[in-house]
Order: sequence, then structure tokens, then C-alpha cells
Amino acid sequence: MPFDVFDRLLRPLRFRPVTSGYPDLAPEVGAPARGLPELDEVRCDGSAACVGACPTRAIVVTDSTWSLDLGACIFCGACARACPRDAIRLGPRIELAVRDPADLVISRDWRVAG
Amino acid sequence: MSTVRFAPSTVAVAPSTASPALPAADGALEWVAPDALGPRVRDLIGDGARFIMVVGLDERSVGGTGLAVEAVVARSDGGLARLRTGLTLAEPSYPSISPLVPAAHWDERELKDLLGIVPVGHPDPRRLVLHERWPRGYHPLRKDIPAEVRPPDAERTFVPFEVHGEGVYQLPVGPIHAGVIEPGHFRFSAIGERVLHLDARLGFVHRGLEKIVEGRTLRAALPIVERACGVCTVTHALAYSQAVEALTATTVPPRARWARVLLAELERLYNHAGDLGNICAGIGFQPAISRLGWLKERLLRVNDALTGHRYLTGVVGPGGLLADLDPDGLASLPAALAEIGSDLAATVRSIVRSEGVMGRFHGAGVVGVETATALGALGVAARASGLPADLRRDRPYAAYAELNAAPVVASAGDVAARFHVRAQEAHESLRLVRDAARRMPAGPIAAPLAIAATPGASALGAAEGPRGASWIWLRAGADGTIDRLRLRSASFANWPVVAAAVPGNLVPDFPLINKSFELCYACTDR
Repeated sequence: MPFDVFDRLLRPLRFRPVTSGYPDLAPEVGAPARGLPELDEVRCDGSAACVGACPTRAIVVTDSTWSLDLGACIFCGACARACPRDAIRLGPRIELAVRDPADLVISRDWRVAG
Repeated sequence: MSTVRFAPSTVAVAPSTASPALPAADGALEWVAPDALGPRVRDLIGDGARFIMVVGLDERSVGGTGLAVEAVVARSDGGLARLRTGLTLAEPSYPSISPLVPAAHWDERELKDLLGIVPVGHPDPRRLVLHERWPRGYHPLRKDIPAEVRPPDAERTFVPFEVHGEGVYQLPVGPIHAGVIEPGHFRFSAIGERVLHLDARLGFVHRGLEKIVEGRTLRAALPIVERACGVCTVTHALAYSQAVEALTATTVPPRARWARVLLAELERLYNHAGDLGNICAGIGFQPAISRLGWLKERLLRVNDALTGHRYLTGVVGPGGLLADLDPDGLASLPAALAEIGSDLAATVRSIVRSEGVMGRFHGAGVVGVETATALGALGVAARASGLPADLRRDRPYAAYAELNAAPVVASAGDVAARFHVRAQEAHESLRLVRDAARRMPAGPIAAPLAIAATPGASALGAAEGPRGASWIWLRAGADGTIDRLRLRSASFANWPVVAAAVPGNLVPDFPLINKSFELCYACTDR
């Protein structure tokens, strides 16, 4: 079938790799991406609504600190939705590897005055 | 967009004339005697009903004193019939329904493991999800067993089902496989190159999800249910959300109903594109594997642009959507899909014109319509064997009642039929995504749950995923928590069909047959 032969010969000519040049180039992160959960210390009032919402219990809030275990976080965004003060946002940061597992726990002081 | 029909043997069933169809009413829960359960389910199925699931229950948390078993079937009008029988803790047994309804045989093995309910007369009473290392008498879904305490290991070994005789040899495969796939053990009994019997043993990735969600709130359980496996996330989130919405009398706003269709079809699309490539991987046809892998990657990037997640988690939730679709992603959707659709059609065309490839597909792994019916095959596995089962038409949800999604059906029941059904469904999904994107109105994306779920009330939710219908059985506990949840995924329903498709085929055709079903281990094992 001539059409078929042409199709097979010509179509691959317009094939382009769909992958990008990462890590040589910056990662392609779209606007709705759900990367590292970031705390706005100014907005946070320590209500700990995020703690109860987290399905993997990755968040701990004390009298002074808000800490998140990225080893347990599944980036579902339940914390951001549960926060009454809109203090958590899943941002565009996606390069989260660390050498020491202890560094997976990130901690912030939420008592920064608003 | 090409309108080539890929498969001469494939016929599209005309959509029903009544449209939009009204959802059929579900019957009330009916209590029956233990020995009446099996005959009643058999009679309902004889009247055209389809088997849905058997679920084991511990009634002590909802005011009862013992255990219970509930069988659910879907009548031919789409409405559900639910039959429940009560059992005492002292004697938790009932006559097995599997001899009468073979589709129930894995459900009954599972409730024997997890609840210690004994289906007397079950044809294969071996363990299913709790392997032999778990001690006897440990039944984690009983309410007096804490989820956190790990019992000591038992020292028993697995006894596979084997065929013995002159010239018969055993071929164990797995649970560790050569590819990056999930664990499962396959025990072939073969004579020469022909398989006499295949015993599939799964359960290696049983994580106890159904126990973990007990006591969590209806919202908090969503991310766990959604992640029962990685590739049916919309299906499971949708089935779960619909069960929650039934319990809380919640009506989903129109924008969310249409967005759910869009997301469910995008999920079907990337799965089908990848699975068509996986079928080719079953015979090592490299050009098609890489081209379909390339198409799947482009579809995953469409998902990412639309929702921020390549595998579409965190979008569908009780009441509607958790987050709206990205406007830029929506704007670029039609052009991206038109290009992907054209490349997909061309790829499928070049595969079906390769005689060497189709020669391997035709006649391999045949599942007859009787086998598919008896074992309760779902999704592609059913439709490729002549069973037009499709929840999008049989029990319309989201906005499907307004879309006339006609199931694609083939009759041969072999690998080629499953390939053709997938190819044509992918084509149909492209149309449905475009339709849904065009008809999706502006407006709110979610409604608050209307009423608190009544403790002890139960409901079912279901969605037609890439592998067939996944069902969620859900019972509310106190204070808006979950008392019991069971997820019966399409993969769970279809694994016994795979085992039935293999005997009579050559051993080296097993990868091909297995990949023509492309089932998931994670949501089977949970």
C-alpha cells in the first residue's frame, strides 16, 4: 500500500523527543504543580489544623515549631486545604533529595509575628 | 482526526435510545438466612443480574454482636440488590456461594483471611491475601484486632496447586520479575510447551489499606483510597467520592460532573496508550513499544498541565473536585489531543498491518463468553469476549448519561480482540475528553457534604476505569468516620480470568496474554 509506505517513512521525520534536557536545563514545572509544601510563617497561627488533615501524619506542630517529614509526605495538599488561614502552599520546588535522611524533616518557627 | 476503524471484527454497540438515562434505584438491604445467600444470588444472576462483590463485616462496631456477609449484585436495570446474612462469633461459617457463583471465589477467600468467616464448601479454601507467614487465627479486619500490632511470624509454607503426571513439569515464575513490575508468583504446570494449568498467587503487596482507613474521617481517607494503585487514581477517587456522596445525600455541581468525565477519560487514554505498547512488549516488538511509550509520556504531560499531577491524584474528591483544572492546560488541551490522537491512530494502524505481530495476537489467550460471564470479567477483558459490560452506560455517573458512551465490543476473546477494543476505546476517549472540555460549564467545583453520614449506614460507589469497574463498599461509623471500606478493583475481578485464559497456550505466550489484560497487583492486594 503506497500510502502506508509513505506514512511509515515520513511520519517519523516529525517525531521529536518528548523528554527535556533536565538536569542540564531547569526542570519544567507547570503552574498547577504540587511540589514542596511551604509554610507562610507570618500567616500561620499554630492552630494545627494541618496536623489532623494529614493522611500520613507527616506534620507536627509544637508551641513554637511547625515541622514536616518529607519522607512521609505524599504531596496530596490536604494540609493546604485544611488550613483556615491559607498559610500552606504546595509550591514549585521539586528537587527535594537529601544525603542524610534526618534532613527530610524540615522545621519552621511559626511564631513570626504577622 | 482519523476515523479509521481499527478492527474489522469490532462492532460498536448502539447506545440505548433512552437518554439521558435515569439512574436505577438501588434496592434496600435485605437480611437472609445463611443457607439462602448462595441460592438467592444465583437466582438473581439467572435473571440477568451481574455479580458485584461479597463483603465480610464485623457488626460489633455498629451495635451488632457478631459477623456478617453481604452479597451485592447489579440487576439488569442497573439498580443494586444487597443480601446480608448474620453470623455468630462462636460459629462464623455459612455455605459458600462460590460453587453456585464462581465470580465470588476470590471474595470469599479474602473474607476468610481477613475476618475469619468460613465459606463452607469453597472449592479452593487456600489463603489469598494473608500468606502463610501470618499466624492462624489472626483476622485483622475484626474490630478487636488493633492495626498497629504486628503478630509473630508463623512457620508454614505455601503449597501451590500443581498438576502431576508423566511428562508434566512445574515452572515457577516470580514473585520477583525481570522487568520493573509488581510482585506475583505464577506456577505453571506444563507438558512440553503447552500450559496445562496456571496458579496465580498474589497478595505480596497487601498493605492493609482497608484496616488503615477505619476510624479516619471520610475526607481523610481519600488520599489513601486514591493511592490503592498508581494508575487508576481517578477511578478509585471517583468510586469513593460517589459512595461518600450517597451516604451524605450530596449533589455534585455540574462543572465537577463534567470535569470528572474529562479526568476519567484522560486516565483511560494514557492507560490504554501505555497498555497497547505493553501488549507489543509481550512479543518484544520494539518500534511500537517506544512509540506508544512516547505517546503515553505526552498524555502524562497533558495531565500534569491540567492538574499538576501526571497520574491525576488530588483532583477528584467527595462533593466534586478538590481543585479546579488549570485554565492554561484546558486552553491547550484540544490542540494537544488532536495531535496525539492522529499519532496514536497512525501507530495502531502500523501495528495491525504487521502480519508477524497480528499473527501472535490472533488466537492467543482466548476467553470465551461463558468463562468471562462465570468468572465475572470486567472492562476490556469482558468487552473483548462479547460481554458489553460498561458502567458508563449500565449505571451512568458523573455526566456520562448525557454523553452516550457506547461500549466497544469484540467477540473473539483473544489478545487481538483486547488490543482492538483498547485501540477503539482510546479513540472514543479522545472524543469524550473533547466533548467534556467543550460542554463543561463554569461554576462551583464542589458542594459541601449535605448531611452527616448516619452511623451504620452503608452505600456503594463505582466507576468504570481503564481495566473495568471498580467498586467501593462503604459504611459510616460515629462522627463522620469510616467503619468499614472495601475496594473491589477491576484487577481483582479479572485476575482469575487471566489464569483461565492461559491453559492450552504456549508458555512463551504467557507474557503476551498477561499484558493483554495488563492488570494491577497493588489494587488487587490493597
